[in-house]
Amino acid sequence: MHSGSCLCGDVTFTTSAPAKGASACHCTQCRKQSGHIWASAQVAKDALDIEGPLTWYAASEGAARGFCAQCGSFLFWHAHDEDEISFALGALDGPSGLKLLKHIFVADKGDYYDIADGLPQSEQ
Amino acid sequence: MQNGSCLCGAVAFRISGEMRDVLACHCQQCRKTSGHYWAATSVPDTALEMTRKGGLAWFRASDTAQRGFCKLCGSTLFWKPDNADRTAVSAGALDGATGLELSQHVFVADKGGYYALGDGKPLHNQFSGGEDA
Repeated sequence: MHSGSCLCGDVTFTTSAPAKGASACHCTQCRKQSGHIWASAQVAKDALDIEGPLTWYAASEGAARGFCAQCGSFLFWHAHDEDEISFALGALDGPSGLKLLKHIFVADKGDYYDIADGLPQSEQ
Repeated sequence: MQNGSCLCGAVAFRISGEMRDVLACHCQQCRKTSGHYWAATSVPDTALEMTRKGGLAWFRASDTAQRGFCKLCGSTLFWKPDNADRTAVSAGALDGATGLELSQHVFVADKGGYYALGDGKPLHNQFSGGEDA
């Protein structure tokens, strides 16, 4: 359904099911890691095939963040108690047919930009 | 004085002096590494002091610039063109209130199809680079 990779190409992934819940996250952790805002969509864990040397970093007890240690691309977010995994929309190759649906954790957004695309926003 | 760091803290820095307005970059490289699109200010190299750099690594995605990131947590941090004594710094890495404003979007011809830009800021298909990094 979808395929993507990191910037250097060492880590690639494909999904065998449609993704859902495309959102832009403004939480402090995503802002620090992405450098601005992180956009992702979710797919069932068993519908996601990842190849290459992915590294995981746990910024909190409940979740881990997957990235490529060769080029620093921020690719995945996974909560340990969930059957779904979030993948970065910026990593996708070619048109995905996906559309951003909402902004989340906007209470933590940076002061240097406005959210002006008219999509729903949630504080958490 | 503005402080900043990566997510895990293995890279930290301090900026003295004025920071450039924030540019949002929608090029393919910035989209791949940030996971969406990248926003950065820019400062002279002399105004950027690294206070912790145990996690700092560089990746060269093109012949003209390097990208700095934390190899321990995967944070996107810097873009350093070879031909200028300036470094672009992730706006998201800056701590607390920045007082900065996003002033333009660059490389919008490469933007993803899954999001819209509605903030009314100028859109450019390229970026001249060079002195302003």
